[in-house]
Amino acid sequence: MSETKIETTVHGMMAEFTTVDSLLSACRRIRDAGYTKTDAYTPFPVHGIDKALGIKPTALPWICLIAGATGTCIALAMQIWMNSIDYKYIISGKPYLSLPAFIPVAFELTILLASFGAFFGMWALNGLPKFSNPMFTDPRFDRATDDRFFLYVDAGDERYDANGVRNLLADTGSDYINEVVEDDSPKEVPKPVFLIWGLSVAASLVPLICILTMRVTNSSKPRFHIFFDMDFSPSKDAQQVTSLFADNRAMRSDVPGTVARGQMEESLDMLTGIDVEALTLSDPPRVQRLVRAYMLADDEAKAEEKEAVDAAEAAPASVMDTTPWVEKNPLNVDAELLAQGQQQFAIYCSVCHGMDGYGNGLVNQRAQSISAPTWVPPASMHQETLYADKYPDGKLFSTISNGIRKMPGYAGQIKLKDRWAIVAYVRALQKSQNASLDLVPESEKAAVEAAVTEAKAELKRQAEEAEKAAAARKQEQP
Amino acid sequence: MSLAIPNGLDNTVERPGERAPLVLGETTYHDITEAVCKVAERPPSKGWIGGFLVAFALLQVLGLLIVYLIYTGVGVWGNRAPIFWGWPIVNFVFWVGIGHAGTLISAILFLFRQEWRTSINRAAEAMTIFAVACAGTFPGIHVGRAWLAFWLAPYPSLNLWMWPQFRSPLLWDVFAVSTYGTVSLLFWYMGMVPDLATFRDRSKNKYRRMAYGLLCLGWSGSSRHWMRYEKAYAILAALAAPLVLSVHTIVSFDFAVSQVPGWHTTIFPPYFVAGAIFSGFAMVLTLMVPARKMLNLEKLITIRHLENMCKIILATGSIVGLAYGTEFFIAWYGQVPAEQFAFLNRAFGPYAWAYWTMVSCNVISPQIFWFKKARTTPWIIVVVSIFVNIGMWFERFVIVISSLSRDYLPSAWAYFTPTWVDWGMLIGSFGLFFTLFLLFCRTLPVINMAEVKATLAKQEHMAHLHGHGEEASEGH
Repeated sequence: MSETKIETTVHGMMAEFTTVDSLLSACRRIRDAGYTKTDAYTPFPVHGIDKALGIKPTALPWICLIAGATGTCIALAMQIWMNSIDYKYIISGKPYLSLPAFIPVAFELTILLASFGAFFGMWALNGLPKFSNPMFTDPRFDRATDDRFFLYVDAGDERYDANGVRNLLADTGSDYINEVVEDDSPKEVPKPVFLIWGLSVAASLVPLICILTMRVTNSSKPRFHIFFDMDFSPSKDAQQVTSLFADNRAMRSDVPGTVARGQMEESLDMLTGIDVEALTLSDPPRVQRLVRAYMLADDEAKAEEKEAVDAAEAAPASVMDTTPWVEKNPLNVDAELLAQGQQQFAIYCSVCHGMDGYGNGLVNQRAQSISAPTWVPPASMHQETLYADKYPDGKLFSTISNGIRKMPGYAGQIKLKDRWAIVAYVRALQKSQNASLDLVPESEKAAVEAAVTEAKAELKRQAEEAEKAAAARKQEQP
Repeated sequence: MSLAIPNGLDNTVERPGERAPLVLGETTYHDITEAVCKVAERPPSKGWIGGFLVAFALLQVLGLLIVYLIYTGVGVWGNRAPIFWGWPIVNFVFWVGIGHAGTLISAILFLFRQEWRTSINRAAEAMTIFAVACAGTFPGIHVGRAWLAFWLAPYPSLNLWMWPQFRSPLLWDVFAVSTYGTVSLLFWYMGMVPDLATFRDRSKNKYRRMAYGLLCLGWSGSSRHWMRYEKAYAILAALAAPLVLSVHTIVSFDFAVSQVPGWHTTIFPPYFVAGAIFSGFAMVLTLMVPARKMLNLEKLITIRHLENMCKIILATGSIVGLAYGTEFFIAWYGQVPAEQFAFLNRAFGPYAWAYWTMVSCNVISPQIFWFKKARTTPWIIVVVSIFVNIGMWFERFVIVISSLSRDYLPSAWAYFTPTWVDWGMLIGSFGLFFTLFLLFCRTLPVINMAEVKATLAKQEHMAHLHGHGEEASEGH
């Protein structure tokens, strides 16, 4: 036994005590004897032992303060950068940098980092985790975490002398004194633990490697969709068939009785082009039908109305003729409205009726050139039957909205006010082809005459230029 | 039912000039070690196995329902317009509230030098962490696309090209609850390290010794370590005390910063914090009263501990009652019609049954603790604490559901009906909670042995000063 003792390194001497008081008095004696490299091991914190052993206070609170202040700074910098500089959110019109809103997160991060400082700082200052400790070689030391108190004198102390320390400790009333020797237990981690640790580390790397591989390689395969219906919504397009509804239509009409935004803002006169007050006297049921069709979005009433109007086209003395139409455009006709009407006319009407309204638009030209058999030529706006006295504004509006002969109704495409603007523009177009200077107010006459003269001169000049150019070309060519 | 007081001493009696003993019987340090370590060392009892199987089965229910939810979509819940914050948020606030008692007992009672906390703080902290785990589940799945919940974190995203919105209380909540969970975990773990070393030193099995050896980081009980450890513990307590108050304050901002009638009130932060402490203590009592009996810890968790907690329940319950009354007063005094309607609707509208359940459980039932007999009778304590748990769940139900179901737009008013998934998840979350708690009882030290031993040392020291206790107390 003595042989093994010589070979192992002696770390120091420990003594066991059974009470706090005996430990404290032993500590004081050891301290008074001049030993400095000493320590006590107790199952719970013993108060007064730092004084008895001469332990200095710790710097931990400072670490904590610095960590906490770092947390505050990080949190404020992060929030200011993210919400006030890099990606500015407008929230209730508040300034981008509104400090009060940033306080909660700053507070939480301060606490978080200060706690990290206290927690990790404490372990670092204590030199833990440290799994090999010469103290643990003595089986009696297991009770240091149960009910025994140990005093330890390190062999590195300059006053250390094995026998002297042993005697001193025996004097303090300790009944168990032993030398602390090098931990001779195998240093390597037992194989099964190592294996499990290695396997779990390897396994934990697998997903990471998979992700990294996928990020750096190209794949021709389509993306994998975990939730297919979230990436590709099963919603239907307007004209598709669905089994959800009895009529198999994906596109739904308004719920009867509902009124869309803006729908009821206009009068029935404006919506239909009919003088409803007059119609009330002559045909009350039709007024009711119009109210249901136009103001309550009742599809059935709409269909009935359309049937009646369609039937009218065939019969000579029809509902179209007996209807009291609105005589005057309900909108305020001014240059702005005419410009709006001109624009809408150019978009929707001119393709058939032509920009000038003579009924020779591009579609008509094409239809004539291929002699389309079912083609009904579009009407010219410049026939007298379509003038305001024979074809009132309301009737023209109704024709645009509901269509006539082969022409479809444009109520779905052209907004209500735009349709009335087109009516106003068509009236202007009609006037433009059949106007005399008498229609112009006296004050404007001179200006118009000047403009006409100028335009005529310009035309003449252009014609002369063209003639000259043609003559020049003739001379060049033999 | 008789008071189970070991060796006949009633430590609920106040003796002037003397501290009531917190550890009963002829207890030595080693007895404390034995009592606590036996809980984990002896083979599991039939009761534990049964309880664990039930809890584990319920946990599976929760897990399967979450899979079902994610696979199908949030439509499986009863959340419908206008009540988009249904049971998931009720459950979140309920659990996060329960999670307040542990850190409160550990931090605030520590700072106030309330030594009776030592026997109950470990289990209460464990309860806190498990409750926060339950709480964290609900907002995580409530976001709808749970697999994108990481979008809550402020990270430089290549998909979004944007940052989180830091003026939103919902984001503050993410930081508050995650900080609270982290700090509670550190606090709990750090407090456990010396006791884990005790477990290590008592282990006969090599691998068990190694596992506890790793967990306790090589703790040796050195006085230098103890000195820094105690400093760190005090700092963590000082940090956790304002933290615990901030967490439920921020949870209440989720409601108070909105403009929903019944939510938009300045009383919410203190009212929520009081409610959280109230519900947390109720849950501690619900767990501890049966546990001290089953785990034979009656000498360490004494009737005095229970009585003290009952007093806190009485105080916080009355604060909560006062808050209910104040809400009505402010609604009347503020003269905002929508606000007035919201509160009348709570008490007399379609959710009146929930409101009055809440009032009876939270305000009326704890009043029995004015009587000492009730404070010291375990079965009464358990019954009342369960009532308080029910009442506090209903408080969150009333706040979330009744306000949302009837807000400014009467055409959208609706009545909330939970689905079977809502029920399953609430019950399943208790499965998660109890699974973790039962595992904790079997594997980790349920009582802070080191602190109880220090209390015992102090108690003995005081007894010495008083000329060996018994004679002195007879002299009074």
